[in-house]
Amino acid sequence: MPVTTNSFAMGEMLAVLLSRDMADGEKAIVGTNSDIQVAACNLARQRQAPHLWWVSGPGGMTNPTEGIVRPAADAENIAVAEAVMDLPQMIDFIDWQVHFFDFAILGALQTDRFGNINTVCVGDHAKPRLRGPGTVGISALCGLSRRFYIMMTRHDRGAFVPKVDFVCGAGFLDGGTSRTDFGLSEGGPRLVVTPLGVFDFEPASKAMRIKSLHDGVTLDEVRDNTGFDLVMPAKIERTANPDDEELFLLRRTVDSTGVLARKFPWPKAH
Amino acid sequence: MPASSKSVSKKVVDLDTALSVVKDGMTLGIGGWIFHGQPMALVRGLIRKGVRDLTLVPSPGSVAPDMLIGAGCVKTTACVFISFEHLGLAPNFRRAAQSGAIKVLEMDGPGIAGGLRAGACDLPYGLIPNLGTDLPKVNPEGYRKARIQEGGRPLLEVPAIKPDVVFLHGQQADEEGNVQYFGAGYFDLLMAQAARHVICSVDRIVPSSTVRHQARLTKIPSAFVDAVVVAPFGGHPGASSGLYEQDEAHLRAYVAASRDQAAFDAYLTDHVRGGEDGYRDRIGAKALAGLTAGSAS
Repeated sequence: MPVTTNSFAMGEMLAVLLSRDMADGEKAIVGTNSDIQVAACNLARQRQAPHLWWVSGPGGMTNPTEGIVRPAADAENIAVAEAVMDLPQMIDFIDWQVHFFDFAILGALQTDRFGNINTVCVGDHAKPRLRGPGTVGISALCGLSRRFYIMMTRHDRGAFVPKVDFVCGAGFLDGGTSRTDFGLSEGGPRLVVTPLGVFDFEPASKAMRIKSLHDGVTLDEVRDNTGFDLVMPAKIERTANPDDEELFLLRRTVDSTGVLARKFPWPKAH
Repeated sequence: MPASSKSVSKKVVDLDTALSVVKDGMTLGIGGWIFHGQPMALVRGLIRKGVRDLTLVPSPGSVAPDMLIGAGCVKTTACVFISFEHLGLAPNFRRAAQSGAIKVLEMDGPGIAGGLRAGACDLPYGLIPNLGTDLPKVNPEGYRKARIQEGGRPLLEVPAIKPDVVFLHGQQADEEGNVQYFGAGYFDLLMAQAARHVICSVDRIVPSSTVRHQARLTKIPSAFVDAVVVAPFGGHPGASSGLYEQDEAHLRAYVAASRDQAAFDAYLTDHVRGGEDGYRDRIGAKALAGLTAGSAS
């Protein structure tokens, strides 16, 4: 596990890591149970991406901003939003249109070597060992947005498997060019952020690759907790911790009531 | 008789009268979104009625489909998303799906959106993009490969969804049956358009002048509504936008009571079998008042 200095929570770190990768003027979507995603988007709007546009997938509120991380579907977001859209209209660009969204950020029960996502079941679908919540918009966001992020609040062999038991969100499918061969548009997962590190995908094979490890995390620890061989980069970077400015803005202007610290502490060491 | 038809509301009816249309084996749509707008008073009424063998088509939901499944009312459920979010997986849905007690029709957002839209438009099926998932493998009836033009994007056909009845929950309505929402409407209007019969519970009835004062809040106009049931705290233990928050303590107790069938049956006896007045008594005025939006910390 990372050397937890107690100076920031896991949820704050994940929000900061995601927010750094967002660009000004991009369009994004945030689902229901998405505190870290809300914080990441609003932090990016406070820093390098003031014109980032994000919409609450179910609720239709755009750019709700008031310094409190709220559930994205809550009616309280209406009073601080720029617009409120109705879902039956929004489905046109959520479920059909190609590349409307620049990105989405998705969690999962399982992800695999090629960044496919599973939130449906562990084990055989007909008689699952674990029945998950289901697919909702994950299929569309993985298939249609220009890129997506996989955000995992746990990093272990149960979550990082060689092949997901159920593909409900297409990453790079079987790797290589299989995603576009299938007929999906260019896209796929760009980064995977976890309590242990940041991962990307090797450009040719599309297999998951180590990008950086968090402070205090060893290579062995990551390998022990990943159910497949990760591609090794020429040089493994050390993840830059959230800096003072990022944490100040996050806590003062985005998450002033400390939702992330309360709900997403660092996992206990094994 | 135009003169008298205005004076007596035909749409606002009591719970049992509204539920009299629901029969064994029907397809039931459920509106709302996760903990928002779960039509719980209607769900509890249906459990008391003892309807069996339902096929559910829930919008992404939580306690509404979960309670119907736990009470043994359901044979098959579509699953777009059934979750208790930060409180974990939907306990009764999970147990029934893992044991094979119910059949799960796996679906996704495009599947329900395309299916409801086709249902609302009287089309046999909707066309959605083929997104490379395993959904067609486990639900081949629900996702059929569509013929496409050469070089076109891969597409799937999803059959029209036309629920026999849908249950929705809004915040207030007038006696004509115009249902107002203080928050998002989610798939509720689309469900109402696709359904053969629409029952809305509301926390309160207001005068027509109140509805007209803010007509933009009317998400389900009366032409799409067959019955309105007045059910104060009818969304509890879920949230009713702008009126009350979800009851976290009760939801946790519900999850705990769902650990096995015997414990859940006891929950149903304590909370459901005694009617809606009994339910509110059981939860308690103090607890309900504490959920009023804005009072939560």
